[in-house]
Amino acid sequence: MDFKIIAMKKYILLSFILVLSFISVMFLLNSCTVSQKVNDKTGTQLWGENCGRCHNAPGPGELNAVNWDIVGKHMKVRANITDAEEKKIIEYLKSTGN
Amino acid sequence: MKKLLLPLAGLLISQLLQAQNTTENNQPVQSSSSYSGQNNFAVFGNAEMTYTSNKNTKQFGDLNFKPIFLWQISEKLFVEAEPEFETGEGSLDIGLEYANMCYFVNPYLTLHAGRFLPKFGAYRGRMGEGFINRFPTDPVGFGDGGIGAMNEVGVGALGGFGIGDSKISYDVYVSNGPILLTDPENAGQFDYEGYIGNNNGKAIGGRLAVLPLSNSSLELGFSFQHKKKTGDLGSPFENVSLNMQAVDLNYYTHLTPLQSDLRLIGEWKHQKTDQVSYYKADSSLYSFTNSPSAFYGTATLRPSHVHNTFIHNLELAARYSEFKRPADAPWGGSDTHQFAISLDYWLHWNSLLKLTYQTEKDEPNLFIAQVVFGF
Repeated sequence: MDFKIIAMKKYILLSFILVLSFISVMFLLNSCTVSQKVNDKTGTQLWGENCGRCHNAPGPGELNAVNWDIVGKHMKVRANITDAEEKKIIEYLKSTGN
Repeated sequence: MKKLLLPLAGLLISQLLQAQNTTENNQPVQSSSSYSGQNNFAVFGNAEMTYTSNKNTKQFGDLNFKPIFLWQISEKLFVEAEPEFETGEGSLDIGLEYANMCYFVNPYLTLHAGRFLPKFGAYRGRMGEGFINRFPTDPVGFGDGGIGAMNEVGVGALGGFGIGDSKISYDVYVSNGPILLTDPENAGQFDYEGYIGNNNGKAIGGRLAVLPLSNSSLELGFSFQHKKKTGDLGSPFENVSLNMQAVDLNYYTHLTPLQSDLRLIGEWKHQKTDQVSYYKADSSLYSFTNSPSAFYGTATLRPSHVHNTFIHNLELAARYSEFKRPADAPWGGSDTHQFAISLDYWLHWNSLLKLTYQTEKDEPNLFIAQVVFGF
């Protein structure tokens, strides 16, 4: 019985820490902004910098527009590219593709 | 406590909803395409085959075929799955690398559930992929029998965001986690990739990465995983706990005098298990300090800005790795180290031919050729 109470308190404490952490992150995100230098980057720049971090960067003609959308989501999950980066990179890759 | 949690949870939800419809620059989200009536689907992946030669054997083998299925169900819902067909063990093995359902909550937060590639370090599931790894082999301690899981079953949250010139990415997850093996031959090792749990404990893990430079050329990551109970339910080993940490680095730059791109990659990881007594085959007890560690460092040079097509498709790579194993464990033995040097030729952005010479302590020297086609 005591063990169950201790375990429950631990889960509540853990939940509390998780909730606080999420709130802290959200406040951080709302109060922080990217620099103008980063904000002004084009899709071409971001494509070269971010795709090339792990692998050779495929060019715009490699896939069609729908496939680029799907690849963007995949890279968001696999490589944690930011939402703004994903949108600009995919826009660039679709701009001269099929 | 509950009275405190409810308002906090409400505040969290309101924060999520507020952020849900804005981008990083507080601009309204604009859909890039319409998904009504569509189920956007694509198949990518890669195929690999290896030729190995040492003083004892010369053989073709390690044929791998790994299609990746991707579905974008809507702007918010996304599924990724990868089965794997392998012949490395002399017969056809079929496995499930991952089947992961993702929900994009807002620009900074993605929730996922299923079998997924955990971000414990950066090698497994990312830098070790066939068309990214410049070698046909894994560093010692980073492949099968090494430290940490390739796959986990559970739920998680991930995302990335910019601050000033820098970027931060995060991953946290709760999973079934490693299962302690206690049979005499494998006592103290772990089955990292169990489809189901073996007790009521869960593993908690994650990775925090910082990209401090504005051009994202440097990435530093710290990963952890903790599981309080790794043994089978009701067994004397149920409460054996496990802690793992990893630190990874990925840096690339352009060397103008050489018209080349230089890449430096490295990772260190460590595992610590509670010290307990295991049974030998004759039922006597023994114990050992179970805290293996491994690291590798890789440097690659590609003259990608040279105009000659043949030369700029070449890439030279060198890798050193070490794996410190528990000396007294039945599966441990002495520490080992490996050195590999590779000359690769890029046939396409995701397809290459690798020619590698590898030396490893207590193993015959190897020549390995591998062809990888991405599709």
